[in-house]
Amino acid sequence: MPEDASPNDFETGLKLLWLRAQAGDEAAYRVCLERIAARLRGYLRRRMQSLPDDVEDLVQETLLALHLQRGTYDPALPVSAWVLAIARHKLVDLWRRRGRRDDLHDALDEVDESALAAVAEDGQARRDLDKLLLELPEAQRLAIVLTKVEGLSVAEASQRTGASASAIKVQVHRGLKRLARLVRE
Amino acid sequence: MKTATLIDLLARGAGPAPRLVPAALAGVLLSAALALAVLGPVPAAMFATPAPWLKLLYTGALAVAAGWLAARLARPLPRLQRPRAAVLAVLGAMALLGGLALLATAPGERLVALMGHSALACPWNVAALSLPALAAALWALRGLAPTRPRAAGFAAGLLAGALGALGYALSCVESSPAFVAVWYTLGMLLAALLGAALGPRVLRW
Repeated sequence: MPEDASPNDFETGLKLLWLRAQAGDEAAYRVCLERIAARLRGYLRRRMQSLPDDVEDLVQETLLALHLQRGTYDPALPVSAWVLAIARHKLVDLWRRRGRRDDLHDALDEVDESALAAVAEDGQARRDLDKLLLELPEAQRLAIVLTKVEGLSVAEASQRTGASASAIKVQVHRGLKRLARLVRE
Repeated sequence: MKTATLIDLLARGAGPAPRLVPAALAGVLLSAALALAVLGPVPAAMFATPAPWLKLLYTGALAVAAGWLAARLARPLPRLQRPRAAVLAVLGAMALLGGLALLATAPGERLVALMGHSALACPWNVAALSLPALAAALWALRGLAPTRPRAAGFAAGLLAGALGALGYALSCVESSPAFVAVWYTLGMLLAALLGAALGPRVLRW
């Protein structure tokens, strides 16, 4: 992506898109997530040299967390700083789960711009989405499959299942939250 | 799973970012009301004196400041200067007031003013009353994205402590500002320390 060749361009380009995404622009949101994923891959790869096979899993875990927590984005902050704070939190959490205590020492609030190099590739994590979805309760799985995989609107999914539109939304949110918990295990 | 697949999944029908509903706050206030209901209120005549109003003002102001701090700590990269200054200002103002009140007391009566008749029970009562609010505040924070779990736990504990103390103030008959400055504050700090101890364990997401 030539338009985010340097970290600062990355932020300026991302911020406008991100604000549109926050307001509900789905296409902008998709582009944001793609750019963020590429940056996260570079950031995490550098910090996880001892765990190369886990990089893509953590990229995905972080993307899920970003999605669930996007209400906590503070528009006064750079998007990249917010993204990296969450990525670091996920990295520390991973290390803690692996029983590792070193490498946790750089300041949490510091944005290491050099770590923002983009790595665009078609990342493949080891975990399998279809298997994960099977672990969700039926109502959550169905709501996610209909609206998020098959791409039905909430209204269509509501007609198909007989559940109300707000119930579908709640099930999707709960299902994604549970997915985020499942991928941590 | 390919990351592109996940991005498709997340972006499809994503809609606008959810607003952070103060539902969490409602839960906290509810548990404060519960704490309040457990204890009988002070004799109504006491409300003619400044003592209960001072306690309500102090704990209420601290609850607002600590709630602000906790709300900031619920987000990644919290900006803390102003809420932290607010918390310190409330604590400092009460300490100053308590100190001045003590200076204005005759030297022979200072110890009585400081200790009242319930000095050793007060902090524990405040801390105990804060527990439901602490559980609610931690639960609310857990659903958000605190990246500094110990600090977030501390703020949640301070908020809960202030709410517990607010409830306790309605049934406490002590009248000395020095008593409030020392023992109420101690009880609220107990709750805050408990929150800080629980934070790293509870606030994982």
